[in-house]
Amino acid sequence: MNTLISLKNICCRLSSDFSLAVADLDLQAGTIYTLIGANGSGKSTLLKVLALLLTPTEGTIRFPSYPDLQHLQLRRRITLVEQSPYLLTGTVKDNLCFGLKVRKIPHHQQQQIIEQVLKQVCLSGFAERKAATLSSGEKQRVALARALVLKPELLLLDEPTANIDTSSVPLIENLIRQLPPQGITVVCATHDMEQPQRLGGTLLRMNLGRLDKLDSNSRH
Amino acid sequence: MDYLVESLWQALILISTLDRQLLQIIVTSLYASICGVLIASCLGIPMGVLVGLKQFRGRRLIITLLNTLMALPTVVVGLILYGLFSRQGPFGSLGLLFTPTAIIIGLSILTAPLIANYSLTVVVGADQRILTTATTLGASPLQAKLLLIREIRFGVVAAVVVGFGRAISEVGVAMMLGGNIRGSTRTMTTAIALETSKGEFAFGLALGIILLLVALLVNLLLNYFQQKT
Repeated sequence: MNTLISLKNICCRLSSDFSLAVADLDLQAGTIYTLIGANGSGKSTLLKVLALLLTPTEGTIRFPSYPDLQHLQLRRRITLVEQSPYLLTGTVKDNLCFGLKVRKIPHHQQQQIIEQVLKQVCLSGFAERKAATLSSGEKQRVALARALVLKPELLLLDEPTANIDTSSVPLIENLIRQLPPQGITVVCATHDMEQPQRLGGTLLRMNLGRLDKLDSNSRH
Repeated sequence: MDYLVESLWQALILISTLDRQLLQIIVTSLYASICGVLIASCLGIPMGVLVGLKQFRGRRLIITLLNTLMALPTVVVGLILYGLFSRQGPFGSLGLLFTPTAIIIGLSILTAPLIANYSLTVVVGADQRILTTATTLGASPLQAKLLLIREIRFGVVAAVVVGFGRAISEVGVAMMLGGNIRGSTRTMTTAIALETSKGEFAFGLALGIILLLVALLVNLLLNYFQQKT
């Protein structure tokens, strides 16, 4: 398997009493990683470092398959879905279009991609709905759809099921499990200690800002 | 009491018959205010957005200056510009004094800090996740800032509406720089002051009613945009 992103000796000091430390982490393409850890352990910080939103104070981040790409081009291969995602004012379609427009995807293709992804997240017919009128579960799914239309190589999910009703959790988890065969690497931070087993893949554990354990984890 | 009722009745007749002199004053007022606020918006909005988004040395000083300029008495602006535009002043040769252009310049200077400050407040108060969201969706720094402006557009429009409210009700600048010349620089506020002192209370009242209606419209617009924000 190819290494998509490689972190070496990463240190990210955010305050005098918190710093993120990752000695060595290679994320393989087309794999699910679940990231667990207590509140404040650094899960969201690690996701932001992986999303290239935070520049580490020390260490190197490499993309072995793309040694020559610029920061913006690399960033466009990664998408982060935050725990409480911000939906842009306007319709669901406006939200899904933004990233596509930024990438200059032709209009007719945008339509096609949006319809396809909305179907994937069970929101067919929601394209013209105002984002502000959606329930929190629907908003979370729109945020996920907004990331999926971009076909990222690395999808970072920060507690994707934390704000949604329990009946929608299997839908999201099923969707996540379908992503690696499409070539998408997923890193999913979670509080739900059973979610890593349900999602399968590899378990990453954060403890006081340190990535200290890496286990193989098969789905039960 | 009869005097008030009679004056009100005459004022309503003046409004309903679209009195020519009354209309001319309203048009002059709206023209000067709209032009003044448009110029002020072109200066104030970019300044507010820039100061709101960028961290640089002297930022706090600019914010303090903008706050101070918001409280600037209109007659002081009128006085300074009068000095600049008068025949002996540095811009006397331009012949701007007692022209609508002088009023527009005065109103621009008066409302630009207000619009800049309101825009700044809207930018600072904007949801911090907007820029992060734009960035995670692949936007360049400029595209992310443009998205932020799009997201806060109703707040920015509200800032412009507030600026217009101040411009249309302003009297000091219009009086000192316009000179209250009939058919040229007479605005609603200066005409009210003049006509009332001449004993034309009904005429002043008619303009007062129009001014109140404009203020009401401005506030309705402001409420609308604030609800949208």
